[in-house]
Amino acid sequence: MSKNSIGLVAHFVAGYPSLEASFEVAMGLVAGGATALEMQIPYSDPSADGPVIEKACAQSLAGGFRVDEAFALAKRITEATDVPLFVMSYAGLVYARGITRFTQDAAQAGVMGLIVPDLVPGADEGFFAAAAAAGCPGVPVLVTDVSEQRLQEILHEPAQWLYVALRRGVTGAYTELDEAQKKFLGALRQREGERHQVMAGFGIREYSQVQILEGLVDAVVAGTALVSSVAAHPGEERMAAQNAAAHILGQK
Amino acid sequence: MSHSGFFGEYGGRYVAEVLKQPLEELEQAFSSALSDTSFLQELQDIGQDYIGRPTPLMPAHRASKATGGADIWVKLEGLANTGAHKINNAIGQALLAKRMGKTRIIAETGAGQHGVATAAACARLGLECVVFMGAEDIRRQRPNVHWMTLYGAEVRPVETGSQTLKDAVNAALRDWSARWGDTHYLLGSALGPSPFPDMVREFQSVIGKETQIQAAQAQFQPDALVACVGGGSNAIGFFSPWIDQVHPLLIGAEAGGRGRGVGAHAARMDGEGQKAVAQGYKSLFLTDEDGQLQATHSISAGLDYPGIGPQLAHLGQSGRIQFQAIRDDEALEALQFFARHEGLIFALESAHAAAAALHIARELGPGKSVVVNMSGRGDKDVFITGSALGGETWGHFLSDETRRFEARKEGQK
Repeated sequence: MSKNSIGLVAHFVAGYPSLEASFEVAMGLVAGGATALEMQIPYSDPSADGPVIEKACAQSLAGGFRVDEAFALAKRITEATDVPLFVMSYAGLVYARGITRFTQDAAQAGVMGLIVPDLVPGADEGFFAAAAAAGCPGVPVLVTDVSEQRLQEILHEPAQWLYVALRRGVTGAYTELDEAQKKFLGALRQREGERHQVMAGFGIREYSQVQILEGLVDAVVAGTALVSSVAAHPGEERMAAQNAAAHILGQK
Repeated sequence: MSHSGFFGEYGGRYVAEVLKQPLEELEQAFSSALSDTSFLQELQDIGQDYIGRPTPLMPAHRASKATGGADIWVKLEGLANTGAHKINNAIGQALLAKRMGKTRIIAETGAGQHGVATAAACARLGLECVVFMGAEDIRRQRPNVHWMTLYGAEVRPVETGSQTLKDAVNAALRDWSARWGDTHYLLGSALGPSPFPDMVREFQSVIGKETQIQAAQAQFQPDALVACVGGGSNAIGFFSPWIDQVHPLLIGAEAGGRGRGVGAHAARMDGEGQKAVAQGYKSLFLTDEDGQLQATHSISAGLDYPGIGPQLAHLGQSGRIQFQAIRDDEALEALQFFARHEGLIFALESAHAAAAALHIARELGPGKSVVVNMSGRGDKDVFITGSALGGETWGHFLSDETRRFEARKEGQK
């Protein structure tokens, strides 16, 4: 555990900058204090990601990365560390493999939960039910201006974790929290704290942002800032990932 | 209309949570606009005054005679302002966006035709316009970038992925996620998340409705209708009055490119399309085993896309629409045929339909009628057809033009 009462879900792209290096990145993130990992399986059209992550995904795919390798990598990571691993990808890949098979492969690799932003409750092709049945529940994404009715629909799905997107749009840009968002997170924790854990992300780069979220969520998600750091240090990915994670946790 | 956004098993709304609300808002606004006579009147007026509707339905006597088969008729949709059917949808959605109180329009474009139409519609209606276009497409289609800029639009290069149409769609979706409060995403084809497939078809259905009236006036019943299919907006609009009937034959011409093989074509129906979820909808796509979208090729940029509108995919599988893959060389041949026999220069996209129309006209034989939609005219393709057909002299022209340009620049210093 980190010295904070708030966890860090550290994102990385499978196969970036190479299959082996992405394993090193995962280990570096853990060494830097990550309390959970979020491994993105690269997709050709990642429409909820910003340019940094999209570029990393494209590079991974250009290197010939396959979905089978992602599950093998997940297994290797979950065997190497006790830090829980989430897998993030897009409907295109989940649907192509078969919803059931995808969730079962993830569960067998020791994955704790699945984040698929374009399979939302009500239009999920049975994803949330299949994922829960496989023992690897889906993690629904919430926006902070969600209506009460929609929130009820989302909370109706079997899930352990909720992912709150702290800004509209895509990953990458710096987010400043406003009062309405803080209020939403506080209320969500009060009503759901018993049943769900909450991770919040989109635009987390600095320890100051983490501090604001302390007490409001169980963990922050950082992605773009970490991927940028890995990209900037070719050949030293493990150390770069470790330093970047520690930086966000205010330990460096 | 779709059933809850689905056409059979295709369609749907596979988008991130953040886009749920804007799509619901759009669906409601669209449905209320369709039952508002003042909106429909405004649409009809601007269609007449600005787009130039109705576009003619022309008997192609010399082409029919040379073919020796069925009578060929050409719906001259390429005579619409801005040179293609794309303007019908651009004007329709831009009017709708204004009605919704949006002040900013974003659009994706591949070849640039939809971007040009959107930029023109925004200029006509006084809306801010940003067009996302793949950096690769910008290089290939510079003239259209020039027109969009002249209309006052901002063309934003997309440097990610294959830097083509599908990446422009992704970029537009991203922008819309962040700014849907004041922004409407004016999607250009009958695809994407619901309600876009229904909405684009409705705004393009004017092509089919006019054809139906014009054919009745000319006292014939079409035996076959032919349209090219990229995403499929001209085809679904052209076919729409006849979809629920058994006749006439409906034929969609896809990009057969250079032939079979990954990256050589964009034939999803008469090819290797896989059932997949991508870009917000379920349909047939060219993907690999993992579900990654594959590279495509066509001589016509407008058909160079790995997916197809969900309603067309459904109608293809039900057998109502037949699909044919037309190769680059067949399209070029049909382009020359209609230029020489009818004084018509088809857009390269529409030339795929022209080639398929010649096939079916021969097959059906004399006494029958085939209507082909010339969805666009070919002025825009001058750099491609010039290189493909103009031989050495075209190359000389380009180098001379470059020299003249450099000389003018020198003179201005």
